[in-house]
Amino acid sequence: MADKAILFDATRCTACRGCQVACKQWNTNDEVIPQQQDGVKEVNTGSYENPADLSPQTWIKTTFREIERNGKVRFLFNRRSCMHCTDAACVKVCPNHSVYHNEDGAVSYDKDTCTGCGYCVACPFDVPRFTKNGLTGVFTKMDKCTLCTTPGLNRIAEGMEPACVKSCPTDALLFGDRDELVKLGRKRVDDLKVKGFTNAYFYGDKELGGLHVMYVLDEAPEVYGLPKDPKVPPAAIAWQDVIQPMGWAVGGLTLVGLGLNYIVAREAKITRELPGKKEE
Amino acid sequence: MAYQEVEKYSKPVRVLHWFNTASFLLLFITGLILFIPPLAIAAQDSWTRLIHRIAAVLLVAAPVIFALIYPGKAARALKEAFTWGSGDLDWLKAAPAYYFLADESAMPPQGHMNTGQKMWWFLTVVFGVVFVATGAVMWFARDTIAPTGFLWAIFTHDVAFIVTGAMLFVHLYLSVAHPLMRPLRTGSWSAMTRGTVSAEYARAHHARWFEEITAATHAQAAAANREKVLVGSHGGKTG
Repeated sequence: MADKAILFDATRCTACRGCQVACKQWNTNDEVIPQQQDGVKEVNTGSYENPADLSPQTWIKTTFREIERNGKVRFLFNRRSCMHCTDAACVKVCPNHSVYHNEDGAVSYDKDTCTGCGYCVACPFDVPRFTKNGLTGVFTKMDKCTLCTTPGLNRIAEGMEPACVKSCPTDALLFGDRDELVKLGRKRVDDLKVKGFTNAYFYGDKELGGLHVMYVLDEAPEVYGLPKDPKVPPAAIAWQDVIQPMGWAVGGLTLVGLGLNYIVAREAKITRELPGKKEE
Repeated sequence: MAYQEVEKYSKPVRVLHWFNTASFLLLFITGLILFIPPLAIAAQDSWTRLIHRIAAVLLVAAPVIFALIYPGKAARALKEAFTWGSGDLDWLKAAPAYYFLADESAMPPQGHMNTGQKMWWFLTVVFGVVFVATGAVMWFARDTIAPTGFLWAIFTHDVAFIVTGAMLFVHLYLSVAHPLMRPLRTGSWSAMTRGTVSAEYARAHHARWFEEITAATHAQAAAANREKVLVGSHGGKTG
């Protein structure tokens, strides 16, 4: 099946935050005041942003940035949520495959089997958020955007758009086949360049094997707070591709070695004791 | 000579050993669950991670309490882990012939612990510190540390897990399953369960240590004898 994706056009966003509300409503994420204990920033300063950070109950938020261009202030809006990467660090490190790519190419997760181990902090976009057990202080479950494919709340399977896209009054958010949205996004960025936005950038086309949330930007990605060249952290690769196989190899070889030793040493002991002298 | 036994590990040491065995096995199993994807399902709702933390507290608390009650024993044991000489190299050279071919001829005389036991004890101390340091980062600094720091802590924790896990198999095997370690009631299994080994075993496998303890006993006996002689001669003079 063709991969689905979201196209966000920053030049069309009015920062109404309808997407934030629609997301909470559809995914039954009650509004809560962000708590430090949930590992999120709770204080907001000098910005219209609200809430201050993503949280287990806030899977999408609109970010605000003020920059100066040609002596004038520009107010830039961006959409912050899971990027649904093709080379997803969270999928790579999840010890029991609770985080996975679904058939639409989105990164979904099985909350029942999530162990809360937190290895998915490997995310280069700092997206996963965790709930903490107040009694034991142990982090229990991870939460993030699933591109509205959460089992039981799967809008995509019912032929609908994600809640955030549905709510967008200016069509700054579009949902559809990824290939078509890539074509559209490239065209819009080309148009922006013609109009004089020389730093215009189409983000998500190639990053991390292709994101399933792509951005039409009229400035460079860094200006919008997006990492220029996101990478799966080396530590995440080392854990999955080096440590795991090494563990099996070392453990297996040790057991085989001990087994061989037993056979050889037993034989040697019997041979040595043959002449009739008995130990003890 | 009649069958005699000598004490190898005192009771507090044995209690600590089995306490650590229990907590390490708990940690090993609850950690292994995260390492094997099909088993990781057992960790859902984080309860194995809670057990892992409880066991970790016990693993740290036991030696600390031991060291507080028996500072002398703890200091001596630590010193033993970090005391190495050329004799240890000779042991390593002779070990394959002994453990595979039951050929003892090249084995140098050993102290209270042989080189292999000392290596395991050394690894336990060093990787214990590594485990606790990286585990503390993963437990307490997850909110505050940069994700890369958290990930490298996991990496290091896992390296320690692989090394000590593999060595645990070797340790178990050598203490109860290796053909030369039988019968169990005379050797190291006995040393860690009942606390004693046969004098015969001590002389054959820990010659240097056996000499030390018998020398001490002999010296005591000699001193006692001298005392008796002095008392006797003194008494003779006055009498």
